[in-house]
Amino acid sequence: MSTGRAFDKAVIVDGIRKTFGEVVALQEVSFEVGRGEVIGLLGPNGAGKTTIVDILSTLSRPDRGHASVAGYDCVSEPAGVRRSIMLTGQQVAIDDMLTGLENLVMFGRLYGLSKSTARTRAKELIEEFDLVDAGNRRVKTYSGGMRRRIDIACGLVVRPQVVFLDEPTTGLDPRSRQSIWDLVSSFKGFGIATLLTTQYLEEADALADRIIVIDHGRIIAEGTADELKARTGGSYCEIVPRDFNDLLVIAETLGSLLPEKNRAALTSESDRIAMPAPDGASTLIEAVGRLAAANIDVADVALRRPSLDDVFLALTDDSPEARIPVPTEVIG
Amino acid sequence: MRATSTAGPHLSTRAQWWVLTTRFIAPTLQNGELALTIASSVVFTAGFYIPLHQIMRTATLGVASSYAQYLMPLIGLEAITFAAISTAFRAATDSVQGLNRRFRSMPIAPLTPVTARITAAVYRCLVSLTVAVICGYVIGFRFHRSAVYIVAFCVLVIVIGALLSFGADLIGTATRNPEAMTPLLILPPLIFGLLSVGVQPVEQFPHWIQPIVRNQPISQFVDTMRALAGDSTPFGGPVTWSVVAPTLAWLCGLAAILAPASAMVLSRRA
Repeated sequence: MSTGRAFDKAVIVDGIRKTFGEVVALQEVSFEVGRGEVIGLLGPNGAGKTTIVDILSTLSRPDRGHASVAGYDCVSEPAGVRRSIMLTGQQVAIDDMLTGLENLVMFGRLYGLSKSTARTRAKELIEEFDLVDAGNRRVKTYSGGMRRRIDIACGLVVRPQVVFLDEPTTGLDPRSRQSIWDLVSSFKGFGIATLLTTQYLEEADALADRIIVIDHGRIIAEGTADELKARTGGSYCEIVPRDFNDLLVIAETLGSLLPEKNRAALTSESDRIAMPAPDGASTLIEAVGRLAAANIDVADVALRRPSLDDVFLALTDDSPEARIPVPTEVIG
Repeated sequence: MRATSTAGPHLSTRAQWWVLTTRFIAPTLQNGELALTIASSVVFTAGFYIPLHQIMRTATLGVASSYAQYLMPLIGLEAITFAAISTAFRAATDSVQGLNRRFRSMPIAPLTPVTARITAAVYRCLVSLTVAVICGYVIGFRFHRSAVYIVAFCVLVIVIGALLSFGADLIGTATRNPEAMTPLLILPPLIFGLLSVGVQPVEQFPHWIQPIVRNQPISQFVDTMRALAGDSTPFGGPVTWSVVAPTLAWLCGLAAILAPASAMVLSRRA
């Protein structure tokens, strides 16, 4: 395997369309990823994130449009693409019957390393990924975070040009999530371009240089986290009740101050109400006044810049049912 | 993360095939799979021979020198079937764990993973057959012809095993359900095995089922294996075209079904 072809953009997606029968999964999606750039592909379940990753990693062909990775066309030069990428799916894909070290050696050999080089590389990676104690244990016995770490390590036995991480931290505890975040941040230093799909706004906010918001197979916004927040405009007013059971009463009391969209976004899990404050402090005072008149006790009321959650809510589909997460299909 | 090379200087299909094959073979020594494969051949021998040999000896007096000689081909077939079927379990596991998907995104030829699983199945079949022949020798089975026939006997069994494991692999890949698979796949070979001339001559079966018994593939395979193994005079019939042809036809038919099925299953993109 040679070191590959010279390229300008790590990923180019140009007017991609993909349908599955009647269902339009992607329509006219276009974006680019530069070398060493981390792009966060943000969207709810079923938005088309995995379909994009599948097309870029040659697992699926677009109906229309062009895609290239590391200078290779995803449809006509899949072999070149496959030599340049690492794909980590939503599911950890390693051999459960083997130990961590054996998995690393296997992937090293599959990527064309000699037996001894693969062993040396496996030992390096097991140290870097903090799995030395578990290296000789079957992967089957690993915790979720350890499995994900070895999963990613297996893709790094040779250095990829482009890394696809499809919801890498779904189902992980906060500590494991942090260690994956640190890892992704380190990719930048090596000039590795990363396309990260996520449902977690904080994840995209923390890692991505640019965020692409996708919904119903369409890009609905693109920019840095700050740009996206600015686009939502103005400030947000956040109200935290003392008793969470009061949430619906508060929503009732706020009346016209609380837009329908924000009202619909409230769930039984919600612990606060966030709403746009177009008039800044005046909106806040008005809200506090209404709550005081209704004798509702609140723990905290604040004016703040919009979070990515607010941005996402403002950008995505208006109908509440569109936001109900659909069960993720098992991807194989 | 330390700097790593982008190099993969030895990216050859043969090396990848071997790496993927050893991933199935290496753990069998420790996880008891090898022991299970050996045990299954022993159990098939004991399970058929011990309860049946006295009753069946009379029924087979006119056709074989001993019931062991009569029964051994079926034991061999059942043993390799068992070895081949566990491929389905492996394929389903690979599929459901996302390994197949990952391999497809890597510089690996599409047929390499399935070829590796079948190679591992052939290894299990070789172990099963070896143990089955040893068990056969213990109960009194003997090869009566030259080495060429012994080799042909073994090759035939291994080819059957390879084709069955290919089929099992496709079923496993397509259904992606390791748990449900194995019991479903174990029953048909057992039923066909008991309804074949492997256990008793076709005349011993009720009239209405005799055409099925006579013509179903396991009976045909058993006939060919018996001819290849030979028997002491006056038994052991000659290896004629009429004995071998149905077996070859069944194998070609199986291959003819599996080829397009594999194209369908393996090209299906997740």
